Amino acid sequence: MSALKALLQNGIEADGFEREADVGGNWNFGAENSRVYESTHLISSKPFTQFPDFPMPDAYPDYPSHRQVKDYFGRYADHFGLRPRIRFSTDVVGAVPVDDGRAWDVTVRDRITAAETTYRYAGLVVGNGHNWSPKQPTYPGQDTFGGGIIHSADYKGAEVLRGKRVLVVGAGNTGCDVAVEGAQNAIHTWHSTRRGYYYNPKYMTGRPSDQVADSLLALKIPLPVRRAMFKGSLRFAVGDLTKFGLKKPDHKFFETHPIVNQQLVYYVGHGEITPSDDIDHFEHDAVVFTDGTRAEVDLVVFCTGYLVSFPFLDHAWLNWHDDHPQLFLQIFTPAFDNLVVSGLIQPDSGQWTLAHWQGMLIARVAEALRQRPGAARGFLSRASAEADRRYSAGTEYKNSTRHYYEVAHQDYLGVLQDAIRELEVSA
Amino acid sequence: MNAVNARVVSGNPLRRKTKVMRPWDWSFPSAPVSHREVISGQPAEPSDRPPLLMVHGVAHGAWCFAENWVPAAAEKGWPSYAVSLRGHGGSAGARHLRRTLTRDYVHDVMQTITELPSPPVLIGHSMGAIVAQLVAERYPLRGLVLLAPAPMHSAVGDLVAIAKDRPADLGRAVIGQTLSMEPDILFEGLDATTARAYSDRTGTESPLVQWELLLRRTVGPVRCPVLVIGTPSDRLVRPADVQRTADSYGVEPVWFPGMGHDLMLDAGWDRVLDTVLEFAADLPAWGTAAPR
Repeated sequence: MSALKALLQNGIEADGFEREADVGGNWNFGAENSRVYESTHLISSKPFTQFPDFPMPDAYPDYPSHRQVKDYFGRYADHFGLRPRIRFSTDVVGAVPVDDGRAWDVTVRDRITAAETTYRYAGLVVGNGHNWSPKQPTYPGQDTFGGGIIHSADYKGAEVLRGKRVLVVGAGNTGCDVAVEGAQNAIHTWHSTRRGYYYNPKYMTGRPSDQVADSLLALKIPLPVRRAMFKGSLRFAVGDLTKFGLKKPDHKFFETHPIVNQQLVYYVGHGEITPSDDIDHFEHDAVVFTDGTRAEVDLVVFCTGYLVSFPFLDHAWLNWHDDHPQLFLQIFTPAFDNLVVSGLIQPDSGQWTLAHWQGMLIARVAEALRQRPGAARGFLSRASAEADRRYSAGTEYKNSTRHYYEVAHQDYLGVLQDAIRELEVSA
Repeated sequence: MNAVNARVVSGNPLRRKTKVMRPWDWSFPSAPVSHREVISGQPAEPSDRPPLLMVHGVAHGAWCFAENWVPAAAEKGWPSYAVSLRGHGGSAGARHLRRTLTRDYVHDVMQTITELPSPPVLIGHSMGAIVAQLVAERYPLRGLVLLAPAPMHSAVGDLVAIAKDRPADLGRAVIGQTLSMEPDILFEGLDATTARAYSDRTGTESPLVQWELLLRRTVGPVRCPVLVIGTPSDRLVRPADVQRTADSYGVEPVWFPGMGHDLMLDAGWDRVLDTVLEFAADLPAWGTAAPR
């Protein structure tokens, strides 16, 4: 949506296709491909999460709820007149390059009438999200397990946990949220994690902790010092996590996607959550962990994340390597100069400031391709060379599908700024 | 009255490249205010015209536009809004005025814009014109109107002029008191009673904001058309500074001789408003102003 707005704002005609009947995407609670649950709140605070040219209302809290986020998107669409440019309840079923890659034929299907239509566009922006196609592991004996197994994709609220013994698998932010809701609603909760993590608080010194982190970045405090400060403050406020039975983190601060959850450790301390090892195998009425312990559970919730999926595109066009695309700035593919991906980033902070500037860069490139093709091609020629560049601000992310799209927000945005300036017409 | 000689330009010389990185805005966002006064006037018939949003200057409030411009523009078919910046007019924040910065005013205007139905034509008067330009580099406005704009290139020259004209006022400004808003400084054509009444409605300004006027600021690309309006006999912003502001956008200012600094209140305000509305009526559709 931010790419659509950026294109229109810069005088480039564009249409949007949306499978649901309203804007909101992942935040359209209750929609088929929405992955938020009843209690979802943002885990990054407003200033870096909002669109920079459309700030969230002062009346919103530091960490708005999913309903407020959807409402915010709706007002954004209304304010910039985007709704008339979006075809709702429409699936994109296929997109193929035509005319030697100079145009794209996009086939869409109306979800109500099932009528299919093909449109031709000079360029294609793909923004179908990366948190909707569940990644679900399988373990020996899983077929014979007598209890229920769901993926967090289908987790909408705590009522499914009530009165059950629950195992939550995975320590992403969703996994931790579900474990906490298990502690509040289930009979007992086990929480199986691959490794130990740092559980960041939502507030430090009375301010949202991402703002505290951003002020240290603004002061250009070096990474080792920032690591020591964050580790030290957690050490002081919470202490050694292994005393709670949690695993010791096997990595340095900032090397995994941050977990923002203050309640998990609290409920471990209350005995409502039992930290567990990886799953070894399932039995009929229980799960056996790699350390040999058993847990008799009624429900397993896999909070094991999502995989990126572009069902309407040939993966080769997106420079697919192994199981994920490698894109210059996570946007541009070496294969085409008129095929871009928007929003395929997992920042260590808010998403939509980055999405806004991605859109602005996409608009600059589209504009330059028309008016100054030389400059545009010069810029895009780096797409092949730099497709595997990471924007991690000096850290080594732990190898995991979770970190394919991880970016350090200020590092990444600095590169976006350079790219936008490179394509800007000077006076 | 001068003929309308403001060229509606499609864009302006880029004085600074796009500013993406705003780490201090992310780490120390402006504190919200509990109440923001927005005075609006709606046309009798719904219209597809862009909303006009008016931002006042030092020590003023939304009232200075609500007096004439908001109702008159609404009558002519323009949805019109005037906002009181924090600590001014009917908005909250007076208690924290001493630690209010220009960026807080930018926050207030951005918040107001998000409550409008569509991208507005932003009209900034005096110090409000600086706020308006800082908004224009962040947000895709339909159009930008600068009335007797305080200079982005530093108001040191204006301060020197004020010092020569009325030395006591220099002292007040230096120690953080609000610049004098006496009737003879703001108005030329009003009768004494009205002028006094308006002058009495002015309030206090944040000392930090007043001092910030001395800073030199750069603005990133502003792609929307710009209109600059001044008066040759301005006793707060020198005409040379108005000219320089207009130059930086590649436009010619429209001058209204015989008027004082408060162009929206002084006798002749209707002619100034007509010029603004003429500019606003000629604007290209949102997003279609060709970049330069």
